[in-house]
Amino acid sequence: MSDTPYDFAVFGATPLAQLLAGLLASVHGRRVVLVGEGQAGYRLVRGIDLSVAPITRPESWAMLTQALPEVTRLVSRIGGRGALSRVNPIFFAEGWHHAMALSHVQHMAQGFGIAVEPVSQSLLGEGRQGIMLRDAVRINRPALEAGLGKWLERAGVTRLQAQKVSIASDGQAEIIAEGAAVVAKQTVLADDDAVMAWLPLRQWPALLRRQHLTSILTTPTQPLAAGIMLQFNSGIVLTQQAEGGIAAFGPGGLSDFADAVQALLGQNRPVELAGQTGFQALQSLDGAPAFGRVAGVGADVAAALGCAGAFLAPAYARWLASSASPEEAAWFGAHLVNRSAKSQPVAEYAPGHGWVTA
Amino acid sequence: MGDGMRPQINRLPADSPKGMAGSLIDRSRPIRFRLDGRLVAGFVGDTVLSAALASGIDTLGLFRDSPIGLTPRATPAISHASLANDKQRALPMARTLAQDGADYVTLGGNRPGALARLFQPGRTLGLVVDDQRVLDLPWRTVPGIPGPKADLLVIGAGVAGMAAALAGARAGLSVVLAESNPHVGGHSGLFGAQEGEDRAEDSMARLAADVAANPAITMLTATRVFSLRQGLARAHQVDMQSGTAQGRVIDIEAPRIVLATGAIERLPIFAGNRLPGVIGTLDAYELATRYGVWAGQSALVATSSSPAYRLAMLASDAGITIGRIYDSRPRPASRFIEFSRAYGIVQSPGTAPVEVGIARAGGSLSLTVDSADAEPLRTERILVCGGWQPDLTLWHVAGGNSRWHPGHARLEATGTQDNIVLAGSAAGYQTRRGCIQSGADAVDQLLVRPRKGVDDPLIDPLYESPDAPATIAEPRPDAPPCFLDGGTAMLQRPAPPRRRWFAARRLQMSGLLVLSEAPQPLAVCDVAAGVDLGLIPQAAAGIVAQERVALVPLAQHRELPAAEPDAPPAWPEVPAWLRGRYGRGAQVVRLVPQEARSFAPGALIYRSPDARHPRDAVGVVLHQTAEGTFGLVAAQLASADLPVTIRDKGSAQARIQPL
Repeated sequence: MSDTPYDFAVFGATPLAQLLAGLLASVHGRRVVLVGEGQAGYRLVRGIDLSVAPITRPESWAMLTQALPEVTRLVSRIGGRGALSRVNPIFFAEGWHHAMALSHVQHMAQGFGIAVEPVSQSLLGEGRQGIMLRDAVRINRPALEAGLGKWLERAGVTRLQAQKVSIASDGQAEIIAEGAAVVAKQTVLADDDAVMAWLPLRQWPALLRRQHLTSILTTPTQPLAAGIMLQFNSGIVLTQQAEGGIAAFGPGGLSDFADAVQALLGQNRPVELAGQTGFQALQSLDGAPAFGRVAGVGADVAAALGCAGAFLAPAYARWLASSASPEEAAWFGAHLVNRSAKSQPVAEYAPGHGWVTA
Repeated sequence: MGDGMRPQINRLPADSPKGMAGSLIDRSRPIRFRLDGRLVAGFVGDTVLSAALASGIDTLGLFRDSPIGLTPRATPAISHASLANDKQRALPMARTLAQDGADYVTLGGNRPGALARLFQPGRTLGLVVDDQRVLDLPWRTVPGIPGPKADLLVIGAGVAGMAAALAGARAGLSVVLAESNPHVGGHSGLFGAQEGEDRAEDSMARLAADVAANPAITMLTATRVFSLRQGLARAHQVDMQSGTAQGRVIDIEAPRIVLATGAIERLPIFAGNRLPGVIGTLDAYELATRYGVWAGQSALVATSSSPAYRLAMLASDAGITIGRIYDSRPRPASRFIEFSRAYGIVQSPGTAPVEVGIARAGGSLSLTVDSADAEPLRTERILVCGGWQPDLTLWHVAGGNSRWHPGHARLEATGTQDNIVLAGSAAGYQTRRGCIQSGADAVDQLLVRPRKGVDDPLIDPLYESPDAPATIAEPRPDAPPCFLDGGTAMLQRPAPPRRRWFAARRLQMSGLLVLSEAPQPLAVCDVAAGVDLGLIPQAAAGIVAQERVALVPLAQHRELPAAEPDAPPAWPEVPAWLRGRYGRGAQVVRLVPQEARSFAPGALIYRSPDARHPRDAVGVVLHQTAEGTFGLVAAQLASADLPVTIRDKGSAQARIQPL
């Protein structure tokens, strides 16, 4: 290993983190070290990557829709055609307040040219309203991860299994791996796990809170109404697995979560667990994603991104490399992790959380 | 036989030496019963499975047109024919003692048809094994009824479990000892005795007698614990009620629990590793010594562990021709190997199976090995052993951790759990002495007493080669399916990611690309195989085993809190996620449409009829009640009579009316 410090140390196992590391190296010519490997091949689903999300801000919808063609090309190049699929996810809600958010998301999505259809209650259950968003793009993590290794290698990204990491208050990282120390001028904690694992507590941003979630996989059962379903009230995401099982993740402990999933699937569709795990994720106090340096000067973080984070990778890389467009710079600038109540509000609807009035 | 009864073609003679006649059956008391309409003969003491196997029924059914063997670890649930529609009363084929005159049917999955099931010919149960639910255990979803309570629950009545139960009783505890088999003793028999030890059978019998004589110990046989948390275990028990075997699910309360669940034999990974006639050495040994069941007159052995040589010698003594023993270890050493050489059994070290095929319909198999100059050999039976994996299933169910031990090539438990401890081979001990002592040690741990240590005297590797990892053969085109384990999960070897999809299909591999997409729980041996295949990093093996274990949550019954009513508010509320959306000072206003119509909350408000893009929106509809439609609009628009356009199912003109 060279003694010259790396420009960036990117931490994270999600597609966003891995794509970010490769883009910083290959497109922006930075020296990058990456800590974190994808686990989609053997772990339970703990997140999905979808080109649509329950977004209520037009600036965020604009970021996502503009990023889609670029990310689609990139992911196809890395992971082949199998790394992407077209899906028609269903978002659904119960009760007036969450239904209002659902309706607003529907109007926003339609305004950005996405075909949205109402979903019959017979598919969702009584008292539920739902919308189907047509032709969304999903990144298939296992297929993408199968190609990421070679792509990162070609990009010149150094991959390390860190034994110890020290992150200074100015954002510099020292990584101990294989008995040697590696230094990077700037740390990027590019997903929730990375932030929770490596960010020193004294640098913890006030905007972020830990949240306990559960992921389960059921044995094969009747198929879902759509390949991906998101319930606004609970924040539960249901995904239909190719082999017939249903993967679900969302807030709560195992027992309550399993009960909630069973309630969603209906008592006439009893399922057994084929896998279960608890994990933590980050939520921001205002429901919007968080980027930028902690305290304005420390490690960069990317947290609370929901299901659309991977689609922001190219824009995020440009922003970190100081080559973002004015619109991108403005958007990231508005979503800084050290934003405060005095900043321009960027609050988003956050599925699974109670109703808060302004 | 003129009555259509199947002869017991796979039963060893009554005078078979060295226990191979079957210790649990009473040959003087023949029975017969129906299984899916077929008459099956057996003896008192047989399980439904052992009698079926003795009668030559050795096939579960077809998986992708390839037959799959019926083995003790992979059996369908059965039921009395009269109760076939009541899955809650289903029975386990391997744990249910066969009863004279009974009429059983197998359950699970799709069938070629009801008539076909009742008149299934030949050696197969006729199940469609492609259906992933074919080996489901219906009782797993049944809530438990209160069962016995005790100070100590010991799960597993092998030598370690029995030693733990006795140690618990000596310490003044009331003990429940739960054993999944209809008999106690465990699986020490296959492993023989080391120097200075008595016979395994004598050791098991002595412990069993002590357990039976101890009034503080309640013995529950045919009782399989399938879920566990601190203080509570849920088990399926086959209980004799009014002379009829009945299944029931019981909850056993005990503040202290010992897991003495033993070890599971790994399945070497090669094409055709679950064809009928391919069987693990432990299953073959147990079937022979407990029930006198052995299929065929010839066998080949493929192993990476030495006890297989002992089984080969026992079989040879019983008149079975052992054609050859293949051992994946290049220079294995063992007392069993020396003895078997004296038997004249040909040994091929450094050789592993790559494919088993059906050489001839009716039971002849063809074994191909990874030696260039070796021709495929024909045989009636292939005994395989891929080493031993501690059965950590319940340990993981209870929340215990484990990690991959590269030297031992297996998952081993790590850390501790409150009031739950492991003993015996589940805890990693390898000798009978170590297992027995670990039983008492487990009780010392639970009672927080000084521990005396466990002596697990392994023989020097120079004289007793350790097990090698389970062998892995390269996938072969047009070969029978290859599975990761011999249990109920039926998890086929995943196909490696290929851009050319047809390559995987030609190799007859599963459509599964990655283990994470497998829709069934992963047994601990599936995880071990995943590590061996490089599908799971060693560092992640423990967490994968824990998160993919077959778990039945044992929650205390609780009333779910009633959902708070989520009715429309009496007065328009501005949700937090709209804060600042339309600038500082945005106001709630009344919207007066030109024509009476309804608007969905969340619909966007535009200043101009031509504007359509959400970025140009100046407000949003909040609420519609009998008092009107209300919206949130930018401050500069909140003046009286300003016209706006609301886009919702088309567009409508409205005027703003400040509140």
